[in-house]
Amino acid sequence: MLNYIWGGLIVLSLVFALTSDVNDFLNDTYRNDKPLPVTILLEDNFDAEARRQNVQVQILTKDLMTHYSDSVMTGDTWSGALLYTSAGRELRFAEDATLAEPLRTICDQTGQNDCRASVQGTPTSAQWQSTITFRPVRWVKMNAIAAAAIDFAQTAVTLALGLIGGLGLWMGLLKIAEASGMLQGLVRFTQPLIRPLFPKIPKDHPALGLIVLNLSANVLGMGNAATPLGVKAMQELQTLNETDDTATDPMVMLLAMNTASVQIMPPVTLVAIMGLQINQLFFSIVITTALSLIVGITAVKVLGRLKRYREVNS
Amino acid sequence: MSIIQLFLDYASALVLPAILVGFPLYGMIRKVRVYEVFVEGAKDGFHVAVMIIPYVIAILFAIGMFRASGAMDFMTDLLRPVVGLIGIPAEVIPMGIVRPLTGSGSVGIILDMINQFGEDSIFVKMAATMFGSTETTFYVIAVYFGAINIRKTRHAVPAGLIADIFAMFAAVYVVLFLFG
Repeated sequence: MLNYIWGGLIVLSLVFALTSDVNDFLNDTYRNDKPLPVTILLEDNFDAEARRQNVQVQILTKDLMTHYSDSVMTGDTWSGALLYTSAGRELRFAEDATLAEPLRTICDQTGQNDCRASVQGTPTSAQWQSTITFRPVRWVKMNAIAAAAIDFAQTAVTLALGLIGGLGLWMGLLKIAEASGMLQGLVRFTQPLIRPLFPKIPKDHPALGLIVLNLSANVLGMGNAATPLGVKAMQELQTLNETDDTATDPMVMLLAMNTASVQIMPPVTLVAIMGLQINQLFFSIVITTALSLIVGITAVKVLGRLKRYREVNS
Repeated sequence: MSIIQLFLDYASALVLPAILVGFPLYGMIRKVRVYEVFVEGAKDGFHVAVMIIPYVIAILFAIGMFRASGAMDFMTDLLRPVVGLIGIPAEVIPMGIVRPLTGSGSVGIILDMINQFGEDSIFVKMAATMFGSTETTFYVIAVYFGAINIRKTRHAVPAGLIADIFAMFAAVYVVLFLFG
């Protein structure tokens, strides 16, 4: 199933990106190479030969509307600079200029913080009526998915390496708990509660204790502790696995309980976003969590009986 | 704050220090060479983190591409009439789709919704309930199964998604019931 979803995500993103880009091409969304009428307001001490002069750019609402055939755009005056190079005159919008779509996309594509357009003609008066042409914009979404792929691959490594500290700390503490007999005590104490959900784990096995710790950490909203505890529980379950790369019933159950989330304390990020509002949501979250947990557990039990998902060795 | 909340608040503040001190202390009482054993265990942390990298890269880059392609907007439009029939407001569909895929993406969606509808709005309550009651399914799968090199995930994905879809519906109905 994961193979299909994974492949599907990749193929679909190509299809959508291509559709969107072809659509842009057919509608000429960005009006490539077509001049846009503007008024450039020159400063008093303007020098036509200077390389760089501060100016204001005024684009009228009616010009934007006709140029981009868009009835919601509004004109404005932006600050920028007029550049005079061997390539001719160029207009550079100020870095903090807030532009509406599709101008924003055009600017993002021509270069971050360097939004330029070539200017036609030579300055005539302090209110110079001219036209500007942006660099042609093509393949916006195709570029975006390629950039996103590289970006997210990098994020994945950052995320994984960021776990090292927490993993190390908890794995160390758990080793002590194991060596001191604490874990075994926890197993004896809690297995009547937890074993019905994991019937295939042998009695008194340390995995049961780790599962209890993982679920408790989840309940208390301690996400940083829950992951290492869950990983350690999975490692214990793997010692019982007769295959190398296929998940066992207890593994799928533990995973489902983690993805459905068993937490009663709202996650820290949500508290940070919602502030005091979170108090109101306490019960709605608890009820929804409980219901979805029950559904998740039932789904694991029912799907596990289907022929295509049955365990290889049973 | 209700009593339960207060209790949980105290519990989550006290449990961590209790474990951090309690485990080694109990070990010392039981004559375990705590330092040596801790280091032995902690070694594994690095190993696990490195082991999950390929799995997390695989999952995240596919999701990143999918998001960047604009497919999400298309799916929202596609699902709008279907889920509308069973009383799910279109405003919360993006959250339902993004939640199992990425955590940072769903945070972004909630922030957007607060800007758009205000903190008190029923849509924000629904989205926040979805956020609080489910996990980033695909990331959890990548980390937990990646750590032990499990590639054939059997029914883990369908079961996780069933629970996620159910949670999306449940969040809407529960919020409507409590605040509607």
